Amino acid sequence: MVSFSTGKSSGIRRSGVFARQVAPAICSGVALLLLVHAIPALAQETTKAAPAYRAFPLVGSRLAVWAIAQIHLNFAAFILGVPIFAVIVEVMGMRARDPRYDWLAREFVKLVFAAFSTTALLGALLLFLFIGYYPKFWAYMTGIFYQTMWVYAILFFLETFTVYLWYYGWDWLSGRRKWIHLSLGILANIFGTAIMVISNSWVTFMTSPRGVDEAGNLTSLWQAINNYTWMPINIHRLLGNIVFGGTIAAAYAAFRFLSAKTHEERALYDWMGYIGNFVAISSLLVLPFAGYYLGREIYAFNQTMGITMMGGFMSWLWVLQAILIGVLFIGSNYYLWLGMERIPGAERYRKYIPYLIMVLAAGFLVWATPRSMVVTLQEARAMGGTHHPVLGFLGVMSAKNTAVNLMILTTFLSFLLYRRANRVSTRPWARVGMGLQWAIFGIAASIVTFYGVYGYFVESIVRIGFSVYQVLAVLGAITLVMAIDIPMFKGARSTGTIRWGQIPVRSQYVLILLAVTFTWLMGLMGFARSGIRQHWHVYGVMRDTSVDAVTPALGYAANVITTVTAIFFALVLFIFWLGTLGEKSKGARGLIPVVAGGSEER
Amino acid sequence: MRVPVVLRVSLFALAVMGVYTYYANSIPQLQSKPPEELSLEGANVTADQLVKAGQELFKGKGVCEICHRIGQKGTRAPDLAGVGARAAKRVPGKTAKAYLIESLIEPTAYLVQGYPPIMPKVDKPPLALNRSEVWALTAFLESLGGQVTVKLDDIPRTVGGTGGGQAQVAELTLPGDPKAGQAVFMGKGACIACHKAGSIGASPVGPDLSQIAKIQTPQYIMAKILDPASMGTVAGYPRGVMPPTLGQTLTAKEYVDLVSFLLTLKGEAATAKK
Repeated sequence: MVSFSTGKSSGIRRSGVFARQVAPAICSGVALLLLVHAIPALAQETTKAAPAYRAFPLVGSRLAVWAIAQIHLNFAAFILGVPIFAVIVEVMGMRARDPRYDWLAREFVKLVFAAFSTTALLGALLLFLFIGYYPKFWAYMTGIFYQTMWVYAILFFLETFTVYLWYYGWDWLSGRRKWIHLSLGILANIFGTAIMVISNSWVTFMTSPRGVDEAGNLTSLWQAINNYTWMPINIHRLLGNIVFGGTIAAAYAAFRFLSAKTHEERALYDWMGYIGNFVAISSLLVLPFAGYYLGREIYAFNQTMGITMMGGFMSWLWVLQAILIGVLFIGSNYYLWLGMERIPGAERYRKYIPYLIMVLAAGFLVWATPRSMVVTLQEARAMGGTHHPVLGFLGVMSAKNTAVNLMILTTFLSFLLYRRANRVSTRPWARVGMGLQWAIFGIAASIVTFYGVYGYFVESIVRIGFSVYQVLAVLGAITLVMAIDIPMFKGARSTGTIRWGQIPVRSQYVLILLAVTFTWLMGLMGFARSGIRQHWHVYGVMRDTSVDAVTPALGYAANVITTVTAIFFALVLFIFWLGTLGEKSKGARGLIPVVAGGSEER
Repeated sequence: MRVPVVLRVSLFALAVMGVYTYYANSIPQLQSKPPEELSLEGANVTADQLVKAGQELFKGKGVCEICHRIGQKGTRAPDLAGVGARAAKRVPGKTAKAYLIESLIEPTAYLVQGYPPIMPKVDKPPLALNRSEVWALTAFLESLGGQVTVKLDDIPRTVGGTGGGQAQVAELTLPGDPKAGQAVFMGKGACIACHKAGSIGASPVGPDLSQIAKIQTPQYIMAKILDPASMGTVAGYPRGVMPPTLGQTLTAKEYVDLVSFLLTLKGEAATAKK
């Protein structure tokens, strides 16, 4: 049973809020546009007289740029990821005709506002750092990309106004006009994604430059934009933003669950956490594929860069990355299994969980096994070479591809069990359907394993192609299984309602663990993407001759990532706190939909 | 006492990040340092010194070891054990030396069967080895089962000529006067006592600087004058001979003039006139 009340505020009060929130964004936008307009002139002046580098006080220029860029990126992912999450939730609400989803989507768009101006300010600060401390580099980048910077600023305006219209038109564009409202949400996300795509072209040009001659002079702007790693990064970041939006939403829900005073509040935030995690997992499942695409393009651009990335001084980074991804997969599954405890009828599936754990743990261990390690002479002697005689075989891509694909299949199976936990199909063909589903799982796992093993007996150029078959097998299995599952459980008999709110407290810490881990992983991948350029600002085109040209070791990078992530979460916590202030000032407990007792909805 | 939720959550998040940070700090710490330029032009180096310098390049700046092994079959690139002798038999009519040089600067000209064409040109960015470095690397490869016969003149003069992708940053315009700098070089700086610069000077005590602007970055030249020890010593020359006091004895103008003069030394005969 769901009751829902919409808080209606007066037009005067709303316009006041609008003015308070819109004004800073407009000012930020105007400042950004003026700055972009001024950049070419500023850059020209800079190249005449300024040195190539200046030293930032105390911490140095590299650390200053690194920290601000990473916080900016985290906030950018937040303001891009959360609206995507909100639109997905709004669509779910429209389909389910459930006002809870609409309320949830609105809550999160509200949180985006405060982050909007923070993101813009951090972006401006980053720009000032480049202009001030890396003037020659920035002049060069501006010379290549100044035309796209205009488009960036215009899109920023468009996104800002669309998001505001989307949020403030929520009541106005309800009922029969709801599709217009949803279209605004989608449009805001298109603008946001376009902004990301433009800035990605700058960043990826630094890694895999194209459209310039040997001396670095521009020959084709489109080629400079459409460089090797541009599209893979676009896809990877888009998916990553959805995961990020979902995990942050889930962490927010977990925080509110832990702070809840009543059962109704716990029920609401338990449900919110589930939705956030559901959206995050859905995108997380395909994220590794996007990562492989990016890796493949790096190799296609420059083999040396690819090999340095995977087998050179960065080889240990991938062990750490594997641990983080292992935590994400195991954590997501663990949350689903804990969630099944509040679903009557889920006991039927408990017996499968140990097997799922075994597959996940084995996959995790394989993924965390390195191949080419930078080792000491003593270690190399002890192992009989740089590769471990036995475990070294698990370090190659054949084994890793197999492991991650099986982990994805396992996570999907966990989700499927959760989905049907309190449902019994009433279709006469249910047995055949389930048999087919198991067969599809078995065939997909067999294909993945077969190509994994076969990969050891062919040349690398052939082996790379096998990963495509493995990915297609997994994606095909997910599609086919869901195509059977949806009609099979339509109108299914219920074994009981979900007891929202009756989930162990540790599950909420799992949600926080996932958000922290994913954010930390974003920082680590940022270091990897940037670090593979080594002593180049623009790889092979513009050398970094500053005192900071050394690419630091993983420990130093981890210290920076942790500090930056902690600052980011502190700021996010502040924003969440602002959100609760708004609720209190409205006396707005009535705004929260109450999930009384339990619900069929998932 | 009940711990506030915000504190519990914060401590938990910090503990999670702490574990990741601890792990990252407990594994081998590998930095990637920018490679130093090796300058041998005009140097009086022995074959052994050349091979040693080439071996360092093989393991370091050249990043050859990522794909090539010596005495072990690689999956990405051929085993280089015995390549110094084997190279002579690869292409009829081509000497081992010529084959090895071609393999470094035009790696796809002749591919060993079964290996993909993935090797970059070593004298182009991002490796951007200069002529001296290609010379040393060739000598090292020759030494793997063969005789070291390579001379600097065997390395084409075009090698490393693009400046190693430094086009943007090497364009350093100093307010100094090269003519005045030449006077400092010959007079107050007393550089001429040890170095040759185009048509001036002839002393073999220090390296020949006639092409210094072509083979070294402006940053290197500036730092070398002020703090010679920190920039290393060119192979084949004794350490600690270059005086570390020029930073104190030269005025700022003299220093800038001297650097401006050195930046004109690109190997052309007319760069420095008496």
